Amino acid sequence: MKRILIVDDAATVRLYHREILEAANFTVEEAMNGIEGLEKTLRSPFDLYLVDINMPKLDGYGFLRELRGLDLPQAPAIMISTEAEASDARLAYAAGANLYLIKPVRPNQLLIQVRLLLGEVCP
Amino acid sequence: MALIKTQPTPESVTEEVRRHPRDCAGLLAQLTDPDPTVRRWAARDLADCPDISPVLVERLHQEADVSVREVIVTTLTGLGDAAAVAGLVECLRSEDAALRNEAIEAMRQLPDAVAPIMRGLLADPDPDVRIFAVNILESFCYPEVEAWLIAVIDHDPHVNVCATAVDLLGEIGTLAARESLLRLKARFANEPYIRFAADLALERLCES
Repeated sequence: MKRILIVDDAATVRLYHREILEAANFTVEEAMNGIEGLEKTLRSPFDLYLVDINMPKLDGYGFLRELRGLDLPQAPAIMISTEAEASDARLAYAAGANLYLIKPVRPNQLLIQVRLLLGEVCP
Repeated sequence: MALIKTQPTPESVTEEVRRHPRDCAGLLAQLTDPDPTVRRWAARDLADCPDISPVLVERLHQEADVSVREVIVTTLTGLGDAAAVAGLVECLRSEDAALRNEAIEAMRQLPDAVAPIMRGLLADPDPDVRIFAVNILESFCYPEVEAWLIAVIDHDPHVNVCATAVDLLGEIGTLAARESLLRLKARFANEPYIRFAADLALERLCES
């Protein structure tokens, strides 16, 4: 089963995404900020990352920049944020995101994008 | 025999860096020194200089070194005057996520200074600023926090502002929030996340 790491400081958001992904048979782990996300990644890398922007200790941009600098197979990352400005998306892609989604994300939308990025369905 | 390398102690480093003039004019000049250690000490020691908050706020927006920025924010938090708070509010509008988070952390520690402007922040035209205002309330010791959050979920038109407020009500809310949570679910009936978060919050209200 593919392993996905949710990096978000909001417990309800983590739970919402976890339930959607686990119902679709993905294995999910959680991190409350970018530092915790990197620690978990270094212990055992993931197949895909769902990353929030605004988090304490290390924000989503910082997490992605560090992740992309690691000597690991580069897994896809979806940045999910409340910020809807084009500049926010540009910053996300510059930091290493493969996709930028705006909250709230609908379950079907999330699953389609996750499967696309994991190569499980054709675009 | 093991080779023991003599390292300068932190105190000796400190003494070296702080050998610069410690008067306000000297500290102001050191705030732009090329050495971040000198800037850090200047930002810390400027706390004792009069009317310094606007200068520190201006520097905060220019400072690239995270450790210096953290000291500036700590000094502003310690000062806690109107100019410091206004400067922190401006940081909420920054494109720099780390700076925004530092401002949120600082404002959480200033409930008496921030509370009088909280209604204004929660009514800001920019929904992102309203979201950050709700984030500030996450660990904000003030009696009106629940009432503010209830007002947000009753009136704010933006789904993500309401979503952020619901998340927090799920943690700190009481039965006083119940009717508003039910109304919110009805108002955003087509938003799966709001239904999920409101149900979770309602469950927690019943448990508490």
